[in-house]
Amino acid sequence: MADIDALTQRLRAELGPGQVVTDRQELRTYECDGLAHYQVIPALVALPHTAAQVAAVVKACADTGVPFVARGSGTGLSGGALPHAEGVLIVTAQMRRIVEIAPADERAVVEPGVINLQITKAATPDGYYYAPDPSSQQICSIGGNVAENSGGAHCLKYGFTTNHVTGLRIVTPDGEQVRLGGRALDPPGYDLIGAFVGSEGTLGVATEVTVKLTRLPESVRTLLAAFPGIDQAGAATSAIIAAGVVPAAIEMMDALAIEAAEAAVACGYPPGAAAVLIVELDGPAAEVEAQFVQVTDLCRHAGAFEIRIAADDAERALFWKGRKSAFAAVGRISPDYIVQDGVIPRTALPEVLRRISDLAGEHGVRVANVFHAGDGNLHPLVLFDARVSGEAERAEKVSGAIIDLCIEYGGSITGEHGVGMDKAKYLPRMFGEDDLDTMQLVRCAFDPDHLANPGKVFPTPRLCGERPGGQVAARFPGVEVY
Amino acid sequence: MVDATWGTGEPPREVLRRDVLGGVDEGAFDDRHPPRADQIADCVHCGFCLPSCPTYVLWGAEADSPRGRIYLMNEGVNGEPLSESMVAHFDACLGCMACVPACPSGVKYDRLIEDTRAQVERRFPRGPRDRALRTAIFALFPYPRRLRLLRGPLRAYQNTGLRRLVARSGLLERLGPTLATLESLAPRLRKVAPPPRRVAARGTRRAVVGMLTGCVQGAFFPEVNSATVRVLAAEGCDVVIPPGQGCCGALSVHNGRRDEAARFARRLIDTFENTGMDYFVVNAAGCGSSLKDYGELLADDPAYATRAKHFAAKVRDLSEVLVDLGPVAPRHPLPRTVAYHDACHLAHAQGIRAQPRALLRGIPGLELREIADPELCCGSAGVWNILNPVPAAELGDRKAANVLATGAELLVTANPGCLMQVAAALRRRGGSIALAHTAQVLDASIRDLGRETQRQEQVTPR
Amino acid sequence: MAVLDELTRPAGDDDHVGGVPARLVASPKSTEEAAALIAATPGLAVVVRGGGTKLHWGPPPRELDLIIDTRRLTGMVEHAAGDLITVLRAGTPLRELNLGDQQLAIDSPARATVGGTVATGASGPRRLHYGTARDLLIGITVVRADGKVARSGGKVVKNVAGYDLGKLYTGSYGTLGLITECVFRLHPRPAAARYVRSTAPAQAVSAILAAQVAPTAIEIDSATGELAVLLEGTPAGVRDRSALVEKLLAGEVSEEAPSWWGRDPWTPDQIGMKLSVPLSKVGSLLDSGSAVRGSAGTGVLYAAARDITEVEGLRAHCVRSGGHAVVLTAPAPVREILDMWGPTPGLALMRRVKNQFDPEHRFAPGRFVGGI
Repeated sequence: MADIDALTQRLRAELGPGQVVTDRQELRTYECDGLAHYQVIPALVALPHTAAQVAAVVKACADTGVPFVARGSGTGLSGGALPHAEGVLIVTAQMRRIVEIAPADERAVVEPGVINLQITKAATPDGYYYAPDPSSQQICSIGGNVAENSGGAHCLKYGFTTNHVTGLRIVTPDGEQVRLGGRALDPPGYDLIGAFVGSEGTLGVATEVTVKLTRLPESVRTLLAAFPGIDQAGAATSAIIAAGVVPAAIEMMDALAIEAAEAAVACGYPPGAAAVLIVELDGPAAEVEAQFVQVTDLCRHAGAFEIRIAADDAERALFWKGRKSAFAAVGRISPDYIVQDGVIPRTALPEVLRRISDLAGEHGVRVANVFHAGDGNLHPLVLFDARVSGEAERAEKVSGAIIDLCIEYGGSITGEHGVGMDKAKYLPRMFGEDDLDTMQLVRCAFDPDHLANPGKVFPTPRLCGERPGGQVAARFPGVEVY
Repeated sequence: MVDATWGTGEPPREVLRRDVLGGVDEGAFDDRHPPRADQIADCVHCGFCLPSCPTYVLWGAEADSPRGRIYLMNEGVNGEPLSESMVAHFDACLGCMACVPACPSGVKYDRLIEDTRAQVERRFPRGPRDRALRTAIFALFPYPRRLRLLRGPLRAYQNTGLRRLVARSGLLERLGPTLATLESLAPRLRKVAPPPRRVAARGTRRAVVGMLTGCVQGAFFPEVNSATVRVLAAEGCDVVIPPGQGCCGALSVHNGRRDEAARFARRLIDTFENTGMDYFVVNAAGCGSSLKDYGELLADDPAYATRAKHFAAKVRDLSEVLVDLGPVAPRHPLPRTVAYHDACHLAHAQGIRAQPRALLRGIPGLELREIADPELCCGSAGVWNILNPVPAAELGDRKAANVLATGAELLVTANPGCLMQVAAALRRRGGSIALAHTAQVLDASIRDLGRETQRQEQVTPR
Repeated sequence: MAVLDELTRPAGDDDHVGGVPARLVASPKSTEEAAALIAATPGLAVVVRGGGTKLHWGPPPRELDLIIDTRRLTGMVEHAAGDLITVLRAGTPLRELNLGDQQLAIDSPARATVGGTVATGASGPRRLHYGTARDLLIGITVVRADGKVARSGGKVVKNVAGYDLGKLYTGSYGTLGLITECVFRLHPRPAAARYVRSTAPAQAVSAILAAQVAPTAIEIDSATGELAVLLEGTPAGVRDRSALVEKLLAGEVSEEAPSWWGRDPWTPDQIGMKLSVPLSKVGSLLDSGSAVRGSAGTGVLYAAARDITEVEGLRAHCVRSGGHAVVLTAPAPVREILDMWGPTPGLALMRRVKNQFDPEHRFAPGRFVGGI
């Protein structure tokens, strides 16, 4: 059992005052991320300011065999930043310098604590922006985005974090600093950047990120279409895709989600809509104008009873406000909820939504639906009241059934929130033993001692150099073994 | 807090360790208006409030963010003791309420922090220096006559007990920068004539309004009050200004001194109740937001509960009432570039953003410019800048930089605290911009004062 | 041994890699057959061969026993047009895909297979808009060096479940095992396309990027001094945008690509290089005097070098600019004394990855960075 006190002393020597937190009450403010269901108090919290300090903290952990978990803004939805009870929580929120905005190279170099939206704000004066836009972009950190391979509403057209990272500085779990890539593309060797992005903090800690900047589009046009039924909204989506249009975003919300958003931000969506579609096109004005007319017609043809076209940036922001605050807004119509993140082939959307509705009815819980209609990424919000006996269990059952549904239809258990600890138990439903074993070869290469965010992503850690399974539970207290 | 399930499986063992760490203490709060568990439960831990919080922007530490403070309150409600660390984080909150409109779940953080601060003030034993400083602050600020003494030759208050109190507590040192700014902003103290008890409306009378003269406003910026009276009268209001009005209690309630605030509130209600006013007009943002809350402040007092509610319902910010009534007094051109600064207690607490802008845009020739990061507090936050001078200066510097970046000639704001804070920061940077209250700009336009008048508040480096 | 005899045949004269002859050749027709083969041949050094278009890229293998040829591992397993995805077997030639009015937007030479394109991370002019194989690959099936079959990703574009092995295998030059199946995201075929050809200098590229015309490709060729832009989209939109670009570049709209478009700039007797520099440094690369051709919009270009001095000069220039330069192909005598891959940040970590995936180093030994 590691000597936390000795480690604390060592860290206090390496870092400045206020950068090592041991006060129990303060530690508890870090005991959960955006998934507040699970709380674990870290043994201590470190707030490094530089890559060297991150390396020093990780080295100290490596030397003493103490696990560590990295956290950015703590807004993740899969418990990826859930601390380890006998470990160090490395919080990068104070590493928030934008090192450089380089429009001539179409790159930005930032520290991991920099907030996603801040990159766009800094680049806009030069005519650029940072494309991946998770709904939490006003607070989520780029380091967290790297860990989760975050997406957002516009990833249908623009891709995810992994398509926008060209360089990384990382600290590997042995405390070494490694530089991967840079501003230029296609660095020689294995695509370790590609392996690292989306590895959910299990391969090390990013200390600097070089991202692509995207040229601001000449024209952006957004419409909000209200439909009398989800089927019609789904049909509209299919028609748009079939017409060869690649929208920047297509988002859908059902009646319950609309109700919540209305209560929260008064977005004023058309009343009586069973589903609304937000469709956004961007690009050269000449292209967008023609396609926009086409899209509007397709929506009307599919049965939209009201179509609103944003006249200016303010109106466009209002359309999006409802969608972007949907998760947190649901708190207004229900005391508790579980948010899912499954993906299904887009063509299966209407059928899957029907099945979800059946499931909800069968188990007596309500499900609000918000999703990226363009790429089939669903966010069913399973609503419940924990104070009512049995409701929490039923909600959990419905959640699990929805995940199974996604797998049944050939989709994924997580489109953007990550596996974390929340969905680790479902990973074996999607991948076989050999698949998970192979993925963990990567983990063994980076982190043979299992110090980086242990217990996340993979339900059964692979003992590196040995066959999987074995006496795992004893070595990894608190890890669920399925 | 979403306090719920970990599924049908075994919960992670760590979750069950909570009882090992703490045991069931009496907790941080007693039964008198503690932060409410149901209001705390509204928070879903999404973190959307973090980027709007000045202390999170400055320090990047969870415990100094609204989300973190709510979490601490929850810890306190669930058994953690009221510790020095907890209190430090509560104290560090500016009370700017930028987090309230930012929250998608509608968490009433303003309510929560006020209840928490009241608990802290009543029950937490502060250190002697801290106590002395706070005692001095509250012996001074809610009393316009005593504030005025600060402006005059030191001789005037040298032999008063106040001076000894102020000096010993270290308050004078802390007030130093403020006083220096004050001196640079306004001419030396002259005997200021008290305002008349009643000023008649010009033309058709459309309303009778009571007016708050305020403490800092009345003592340091009496010309703002004069301008306010003139504008109200010009827009058809009879203005009733009872002499000897007291403090509205805002500073006290914002700093957890509930009983003191209630005393001030009762006095103010007594003073204005029988004036026959339709509205109670306030030209200081911090005061307005507290006044609108009088119903809640005196809810426990059977003698005043209903009267307080009725009183609160009449409270209007100056810009609010002017827009509600609709302008009648003709506006003359003021060809100036103006940056309008949203005072937190006007924008976040009262939701008043559009009205001041509408009034300014109604002036011909006036070009309105927006300041970057408008939701971020300037760092004044009542007396927060006196209690936390270093971070307040950092916030002030940020605001000053953003203000200067607009290139505007004139900075307009509706709160004396903001005005002093930003002026001080501008002086530090060697910047130069004219400053005025919204009332003064309107007054100048109505009275057709053109270019001359706006030179009065020039801030220049010494 | 029966498996070995069943699944392999003796190598012929053409069955060599970079001059190193193989003993055996196998053409498995399924993932299962390939897995059985690889499991049955421990200790045999393997190189995978697809269309053979890039077989000679990289140093020759240190040893070679078995060539696994993917010619029978071919065919479209699935094309879900409504979902814009397709599942392809690795041996499928890219140019033979029939995807209706959709496309797998990867530029490739004739005969290049899916597996080979992914394994080498090859790309062409249209990468500016569509990305590369790395960005279009959403799922992969591989056979490991120990014969185990593994999948990652899936058939949906949005997917962060588990690690992204597809990224790791892309550009891995066959050193981590055999790729047998790939899932790609597709794009609609554009309704219209036009090229704008000009002799504008490299400096004009920033003007095109600033113009917000969303070009599909911006290519430059030092030999001819040409700068050409590809614009795709709706007929009206393409007309407008190409007119604008035409004016910007003082060029000419054409329905035909220039003859040099997407072609390697080197002849078989020359040294072929892949250069990558930050965008702002493309201009100076073109001023270097070498024969350089490629994507001025992404900073990834190709060069024909005459000798080692030129290679080292170009490499130094690229590295100084914050990029890198790889020698893809060179005549045999030159190859022996040349560092083909150049400096590789993160090499130690890469070795560890290789050791995990292929502890015996049987797959393409010596062909990759750092002698992996």
